[in-house]
Amino acid sequence: MSMEDYDYLFKIVLIGNAGVGKTCLVRRFTQGLFPPGQGATIGVDFMIKTVEIKGEKVKLQIWDTAGQERFRSITQSYYRSANALILTYDITCEDSFRCLPEWLREIEQYANNQVVTILVGNKIDLAEKREVLRQRAEDFAEAQSMLYLETSAKESDNVEKLFLDLACELIREAKQNKLDNNDTAPMPGEGKTISYLSCCSLN
Amino acid sequence: MADTGAVAARRCDSCSSSSVSMETISGLTELEDLEKIYQQLCAEEKEVEAELDRLVGQEGTIHTKMLALQRMGPNLQLIGGDASQLSGMITFTCSLAENVSSKVRQLDLAKTRLYNVIQRTDDILDLKFCSDGVQTALRNEDYEQAAAHIHRYLSLDQSVIELSRQGEESSAVDASLVMLQEAEQKLKVIVAEKLDEAVAAVDLAQVERFFKIFPLLGLHQQGLARFGQYLCSQLASKAEENLLLATGGELGEKRALMIFADTLTLLLEGIARVIETHQPIVETYYGPGHLYTLITHLQQECDRQAQKIVDKFIQQRGYHNKFQIVQSSMMKSLPGERIEPRELDPVLAEVTLMNARAELYLRFLRRRMTADFEVGDAQSITQEHQQNVEKLLKHCLLSTTMQELIGYYIPMEEYYMRESVNKAVAMDSYEKGQLTSSMVDDCFYIVKKCISRALSSSSIDCLCAMINHANSVLESDFREVLYNKLRQGFPATTLQDIQRGVSSAVSLMQSSLQQGKFNTLGIESTENAKAAFLNDCCKLFSQGGGSGDQAKIESCLSDLVNTSTKFKDLLQEGLTELNTTAIKPQVKPWISSFLVISHNIEEEEFNDYEANDPWVQQVIINLEQLMAEFKMALSPVIYDHLTSRMTTLISSEMEKTVLKCSFSRLGGLQFDKELRSLVAYLTTVTTWTIRDKFARLTQMATILNLERVTEILDYWGPNSGPLTWRLTPAEVRQVLALRIDFRSEDIKRLRL
Repeated sequence: MSMEDYDYLFKIVLIGNAGVGKTCLVRRFTQGLFPPGQGATIGVDFMIKTVEIKGEKVKLQIWDTAGQERFRSITQSYYRSANALILTYDITCEDSFRCLPEWLREIEQYANNQVVTILVGNKIDLAEKREVLRQRAEDFAEAQSMLYLETSAKESDNVEKLFLDLACELIREAKQNKLDNNDTAPMPGEGKTISYLSCCSLN
Repeated sequence: MADTGAVAARRCDSCSSSSVSMETISGLTELEDLEKIYQQLCAEEKEVEAELDRLVGQEGTIHTKMLALQRMGPNLQLIGGDASQLSGMITFTCSLAENVSSKVRQLDLAKTRLYNVIQRTDDILDLKFCSDGVQTALRNEDYEQAAAHIHRYLSLDQSVIELSRQGEESSAVDASLVMLQEAEQKLKVIVAEKLDEAVAAVDLAQVERFFKIFPLLGLHQQGLARFGQYLCSQLASKAEENLLLATGGELGEKRALMIFADTLTLLLEGIARVIETHQPIVETYYGPGHLYTLITHLQQECDRQAQKIVDKFIQQRGYHNKFQIVQSSMMKSLPGERIEPRELDPVLAEVTLMNARAELYLRFLRRRMTADFEVGDAQSITQEHQQNVEKLLKHCLLSTTMQELIGYYIPMEEYYMRESVNKAVAMDSYEKGQLTSSMVDDCFYIVKKCISRALSSSSIDCLCAMINHANSVLESDFREVLYNKLRQGFPATTLQDIQRGVSSAVSLMQSSLQQGKFNTLGIESTENAKAAFLNDCCKLFSQGGGSGDQAKIESCLSDLVNTSTKFKDLLQEGLTELNTTAIKPQVKPWISSFLVISHNIEEEEFNDYEANDPWVQQVIINLEQLMAEFKMALSPVIYDHLTSRMTTLISSEMEKTVLKCSFSRLGGLQFDKELRSLVAYLTTVTTWTIRDKFARLTQMATILNLERVTEILDYWGPNSGPLTWRLTPAEVRQVLALRIDFRSEDIKRLRL
């Protein structure tokens, strides 16, 4: 294995309908690019970016999945090991918003129950074509107890914030988990109850 | 002259710079001062005299220099005259040269014009020649010749032709031009017709003949399109034949299982062969960079035919039907229509083979097209070319169809894996003499098989997805199974009951054994498997896969390694449990029986102990029996771990027990002997070094063996030498107090 020059490693998986701008979000964040005329993603793409948060090096493994239906079975296999899911829709496309409940069902079915999910409305640079009102999306996110953020990969609005906020949240949860596990860990040698890390259990 | 002036000025200078002024002299009254000043003035005078002498001495040389200068005067005048003459000459030459060169320029201009004129007359002649030639060639049906003429005409400079028309011979030129244009149109029609005829007649020689003419007429795209059409029709008939053969079903049992993959392979190989054989013609007559166009045409037919094959495959194998059954039985655990995993085997193998073939074919196309662009101009492989190629390959129907098939394949393979693993767990059997039960090997065999099959599809995403699923099956399902087995192995109530203790130990062993296998297979082999898989993948994808793909696989595989760490943890938990439930309750009484043996003994009893060992031999025999049972049933790695834990247990129990006894001088000696035999025995049964574990006990024995209390100081503190004390001073006092013949005041008085 390579040198582990980081304090945390998180897997982030982007999901959502085809053409909502998942790849552009990832490219903007990892490479600072906005490639126009981006073709549809085939299967799954994989990028790494290491960021520093409060002096701690955080390595983000970002899995950019294809939105098209025929790749669903490939993308589903990544849910289980994901620490965070970025559920993306396009604010100029009502359809992509209406598909969200379907995506949530997938998350429910395949992801581990500790996963952090964030809802992202992309393409706010196309404000004049907006079809999904911010309030509506916020209400929806709140009802599903998800975080919500609106971004523009083109204008680089909130993209950095999206990933950094997510990293902060993941660090917070990781620290919380560590504490919890220490509390319930059995005494070595004598323990009869072997506690499971909750992330290992099937949901 | 100037020199002398300068000297005068210097003199004047030195005059005024005399260090003593007249006023100071007149102001002096003391004789002493006067004398001092006089001395000073005398010295100055001498200096001035010397200076004067030097200057006068120079006069001679200056004079000779002056003379030489005076002689040079007339020479200089001569030089001045020469120089002005030279300058005049140069000016003259220059103007002459300019004059000549302007004439040369004029000549050059005239020459180029002449060339142009020749060129144009050539062109006009050509034009005439062409127009005549085309007529005769067309009459003789010599289309190659006609096309060559037209090509010549087309390659003429259009502006030249325009100019010529304005000339005096305009009518004649016009006539031949009109004729040529007519001929061009006519030829185009004829060639197109002839090619169509040849295509209809499936006459390859004629097709190629006319195909070669198209680029001469500037009809590259049309030529390629028609040729592509011809090749497509050829491919289509061949493919239909093959498909009919495939569905006819007059085949051997073995081939029948793979018939659709075979048919697809035939199709793709056929197209590859067509490209291979026709690439030279296209390159020679159309120039490099046109292969892409031809392939675009061929790909359309390929898509059509591949779709047909896949449709037939889906229909005949009930692919979608199988998928739906699998999906519904995965979604809910209700007993509905289920499918035997084994039934999926052939269809899964066929799908992966189909995808592998398609990937191979697409890689071939990419290589060919890029090479063709490179031949044209290595620098000019623009982004656009690349994008076109990628777009063609990634979004052609063949690709999407294969992606769909793989999309269905993955859940089915996952189902296959899950169900087979469950079955292996259910059919778990433990054979005597075997260190592990069948389940562990079976499960790993299944997981390996599934991943290998996914790997054989050549699709990186498919492989990664299956690695993810394998990981999830191992980490949750299989680990759960092992964990439950482990838990069943330790019923808490059996501790006192020896009878049941033994039986529980047996079941324990069985479960730990499985983990023993994990230790060697699970942990080491996941690492190995990772390296091996990565190696395989590298080999397989080295042509097509970038570093990104490799990183993807590596990341998925490293998850698998994490899982093996979890198994390792589970093994440690299991060992801890085994130690506490099966070993501790047995070992503890053996050790505590030490209490019954008095160590407050005299010479006579000591000798008696020498003859009839009171304790240690029995303990060793007991341990031997206990460990023999484990040694037989456990894998060496696990057995080693277990003995290590056991020795730790023995040493800590011994320590506790010893502190409860009392010793005489000989009793200490007795204990020392007993400890030595115990350690000697344990050293033979473990591969770990156990001296360290018994260090504290050995030191206790040393203390109990002392002659006097103060003798401890020979070993303590600065006298300890190589010995590192593991006992604290308080503990040393405590051990000393166990000796009944040591007085407590002496012990208290010790300075440790």
